Order: sequence, then structure tokens, then C-alpha cells
Amino acid sequence: MKRPTFVDIIIFIISLSISILSFTLYTTLDGALEVHVTSGGKEWVYDLSVDTTETFTGPVGTTTMEIKNNSVHVHDSDCKNQICVLMGWISKPGEWVACLPNNVFIVIQGTVEEAEGETADEISY
Amino acid sequence: MKQQTKSHTEARLELVALLAACALFLSTIEYMIPKPVPFMRLGLANLALIISLGILSDKEYFILLLLKVIGQALITGSLFSYVILFSLAGSLSSALVMLIVYKVFKEKVSCVGISIAGALFSTLAQLTVSRFILFGEGTYVIAPPFLLSGLVSAVILGVFAQMFIERSRWYQTVSGAQA
Repeated sequence: MKRPTFVDIIIFIISLSISILSFTLYTTLDGALEVHVTSGGKEWVYDLSVDTTETFTGPVGTTTMEIKNNSVHVHDSDCKNQICVLMGWISKPGEWVACLPNNVFIVIQGTVEEAEGETADEISY
Repeated sequence: MKQQTKSHTEARLELVALLAACALFLSTIEYMIPKPVPFMRLGLANLALIISLGILSDKEYFILLLLKVIGQALITGSLFSYVILFSLAGSLSSALVMLIVYKVFKEKVSCVGISIAGALFSTLAQLTVSRFILFGEGTYVIAPPFLLSGLVSAVILGVFAQMFIERSRWYQTVSGAQA
């Protein structure tokens, strides 16, 4: 095969830097973990350390999420392919589970440690 | 004379159909491969598009693109769901970028560069669709693994496509006979 050209290498470097830079989105998250659920244009937030079971209704039926032992998974969903259920348990910030057919997106997000003592303000705000 | 023109048109039509069939065949193969994480795709069908850059005219190239999107939607059963928006956005933007890169750099770029540029814009377009239609602000979380896996598969596909166009006699024949 021909050796990669100069343009090839430039394109590769641009693409690689965008990929690597995107990982910095995950930093500065060291406080309590939250479970953010987006469904039908609304967003819910749950504490990952509190066990609970929640059901969301989407275009193809209901999707049930279970939080247990600091992990979260989709317990069951009315979608055809069941990929969301098969994705299993997640527990780290940045990990996510989605049910595309039923429009439910579950992601674990870290919160920034309350270094400046502003957490109370944010909650009341 | 008239007879000749017709047979030429037919030959071009056959060429587009052959490449589209090839794209759909690859889509089917990809559909059968289990994915570790959903929505992460190899983009095997893009091989046909990359290879066709040196064979088809612009118009034929976009017909091939359209056939690929519709065919893929039929195979995966997502033709009338909003999943096709992802497919359409990704395919369209990557096809446009690949065509532009190919036209601008010509001999100075190989299939590897074309493939990487296409994959990057496909991912970016899909993330944008996801940001505005599905997941809202949370989309940034899925961006990094998407971008990285897209890059890896694009390099592999690009190398494969480059090897193919250098060695294939079929390719030499049809690209030489370009209208």
C-alpha cells in the first residue's frame, strides 16, 4: 500500500485531537453521584446512593429503571430490541444507558465537590 | 448512435446499482455483528461510498448515498422511526465531506484521510441531532467514546479501501472508463 500522504496525517491528527479533547468533559466530578434521566423532553435527577425504582413512559411503552447498591440499570422496557436492558448495570460518572425506541436516556453524572459552600444556594435556587 | 448512448446510460445505472447492492450487503453483515455498545457502528457500508468517489459522477454518488440510507433503514427496520434521522444526518454530512476532501486534495489524499474526515463529520452530525432531538444537554457524555471508536474504525476502513482500489482490476477498468 502507498504510504499515507501529508493530508492524511493532518486529517488524522485533527480527528485524534478532537477525540482526546472531548474526554476532558469528564473531569472535575468528585462529589456525590447523580442519576440524570431524560425522557420526553423532561429531566429527572436521582441520588445514586438511594435505592429506588422508577418508571418512565415513552413512545413505545414504559421503561423501568432500578437504582440499587450505588448502581443503576434498566430493569425492563417495552422496546423491541432490549438493548437498554442488555447494557446492564452502570455505576461510574459518564456511563450511560439509553433506550432509543422509547426515548429514555439515563446517565450518571458527578457533582463538583462543595468547595465554595454554594451547594445550598444552588439547591434553593 | 442512439443505441450506444442508451447502453452507456444502462452501464452507468448498473454500476450505481452494483455499488448500492455492495453497500447493502455490507450493512447486512454489520447488522449481524453484535455491538459491545449500541449505536456504535463500524460503517462498513461506507466502503462502497469511498470506493465510488473515483468511479461515479457527483449525481451518481448522491443517488448511491440515498439508496444506501433507504436500504439500511429497510434492513434495520427503522425507515419510519426517528432513528433514520441519525442515519440521514450522519450519512449526508459524511458523504458531503468525503466528496469535498476528495475534490480539494485529489491525489494528495488517500482513502484513509477521506474515511477519517467522513467518520468525524458523521459522528459530529449525529451528536448534533442527538443534542437537539433526543437527549438534550446530556449528549456530551456520549461524545468521547463515539468520536474515538469512529476514528479507529475509519482508519481500518480507509486502509482497506485504499488497498482495494490499488489492487482491484475491476476498479481499474471502471475508473478508467469514467464518463
